[in-house]
Amino acid sequence: MGLEYKAVRWNRQKRIYDFALVGGVGAFLVLFTVSTKVLFPFVTGEILLMRAFGAAAFILLHVVLCIGPLCRLNPKFLPLLYNRRHAGVTTGLLGLVHATLVVVTYHAGGDTNPILSVFKGSPLTGSIAGVPFQPFGFFALVILLLMAATSHDFWLANLSAPVWKSLHMLVYAAYALLVLHVAFGVLQAEVNPVYVLAVGGGLVVVLGLHIAAAFREVPTDRAPDSAAGDDGFVDACAVADILEKRARIICLSGERVAIFKYDGKVSAVSNVCQHQNGPLGEGKVLDGCITCPWHGYQYLPDTGASPPPFVEKVPTFNVRVRHGRVFVRPKPNPPGTRAEPAPVEAESRSSRLEEALTSASER
Amino acid sequence: MNDEFYIGWEERAPSGIGSQVRRAVAFLLAFAVVLAVLLAVAQRTIGVSVFEWGKVKSFSGVLRSQPYPHLLVPRPGAVTGQTSFSSYYLVKPFKFGLDAGLARRLDGKSVNLKGTLIYRGNQTMIEVIGDSIQQQDNPSQLIASASTTAPVNLGEQTLIGEIVDSKCYLGVMNPGQLTPHRACAIRCISGGIPPVLLVRQTNGPALYFLLVSSDGRPVNKQVLNLVAEPVQITGEVERQGELLILRADPATYRRLAR
Ligand code: FES
Repeated sequence: MGLEYKAVRWNRQKRIYDFALVGGVGAFLVLFTVSTKVLFPFVTGEILLMRAFGAAAFILLHVVLCIGPLCRLNPKFLPLLYNRRHAGVTTGLLGLVHATLVVVTYHAGGDTNPILSVFKGSPLTGSIAGVPFQPFGFFALVILLLMAATSHDFWLANLSAPVWKSLHMLVYAAYALLVLHVAFGVLQAEVNPVYVLAVGGGLVVVLGLHIAAAFREVPTDRAPDSAAGDDGFVDACAVADILEKRARIICLSGERVAIFKYDGKVSAVSNVCQHQNGPLGEGKVLDGCITCPWHGYQYLPDTGASPPPFVEKVPTFNVRVRHGRVFVRPKPNPPGTRAEPAPVEAESRSSRLEEALTSASER
Repeated sequence: MNDEFYIGWEERAPSGIGSQVRRAVAFLLAFAVVLAVLLAVAQRTIGVSVFEWGKVKSFSGVLRSQPYPHLLVPRPGAVTGQTSFSSYYLVKPFKFGLDAGLARRLDGKSVNLKGTLIYRGNQTMIEVIGDSIQQQDNPSQLIASASTTAPVNLGEQTLIGEIVDSKCYLGVMNPGQLTPHRACAIRCISGGIPPVLLVRQTNGPALYFLLVSSDGRPVNKQVLNLVAEPVQITGEVERQGELLILRADPATYRRLAR
């Protein structure tokens, strides 16, 4: 399937997203530069812009990092997540402008190659001023630009979702580098507590939201209580715990499984969407298909396959309903394999009979 | 949890999700506005300095190569005497000082040159345009009077300050000091821009001391690792016209822990 990918087209929602994004960033840049110029008329232009773009990139990165955990805490924020890539690419571009201004202003026109000067220019001296804060920024920018360059679905399809996802987890490394870049850079000069508080506050919010979201997910991540039976099925949850056309996410032998209830049946599939690893268990059954909440990829609940002409497939799990509880076999079936949905309504009547039959056949 | 469901590509979000997202976006936009102004107001490192970028002027005076190239320009209307000259440091464009060989050849000569003015407080500098330095044919009494500006020894002093590159700090970059500017200051000083010890006074204007070795030579290459940090220097201070000069062996400069 190599080069196949479904482009998510331009639409009203994306336009609103980008409008707000560009508007917000533009407002910040204009207000920062105008206020600075009014208050400090002797500031030189290139440093004014360097500060404006650097600050904008750093702040926008905070927003980008907070969207994920915010959505896990409250799915109503999900629309912010869909086009988060646009915000990520914008962050990289703002950083690129900042870095270009830095290289041209601070490093070019001297007795050393400008790029080399970024590294050589901060000799280690054992003091705080000798901490190489510019190389921190350089490497953070390399990560952000790498992410921006591979942000398109084309790369997602070619690198495969897990590789792409791990590549894009580097954003946390970029953030850590930028915190160091700011702490050992501008915070060493601008001593107003506003700056320390802003950087510290940003760090607390980013870490706090991630920790809160992780705590939220601990119950679903814990293995179900009852041990595997003879046939390997595991007690996953009560049927009544699942809302109609929705799912419960549980963790079975290290993998997340989404158990859907729909039309009087229960089916289980892998929680991981083939498109961008979106959480299928947070999706909904629409027109008979499990629909990913992120970009709307669809899968049939029983086979885990996308309806034709699409070719994406996710692994399925065998399910069974007993005494109002859902049992799942932790071993995934190969992607696209049909697993018989377990009927819910008939369950109370037929389970005795079924049990008798099973024990009879086992004898 | 209500059962609203929204897929990223749908035209409109259900009302509950829509209003939540609108509130979040409004908050973020307001936050961006407040932060922009707050961060701008909180800046403390931007001083009062000027680089007359794009404005080229002509200057005439006596060129001096020691300790760093500078031009002595007679003050209009002043009679001959020790303070009747203004001193302008001379540097080249970008991150380079005036060519030392050229300065030595023209030392003590009367010259005309074109350049751009840089100034901060009582310190002035000219970024000299290319080959615009011309020796004047008629060395007037100017030279004679300029030569009377002999150095005055002010004795040994211990000073605490920051080594800055005079060109950026005086106005080419603003702010042109402290850690964010460190790499640039190192490049400039390495390229021959006069290194200056900036001593900030709580009550009174900042003082600027040109740094030279004990025997009066430039110390550009020796001070690179001590730029943009608090340092303490003990040495002989002398006044040469308007310039303050600090003579000390760079090996004795002390970095102060921060
Ligand atoms: S992650 Fe994009 S549709 Fe599922």
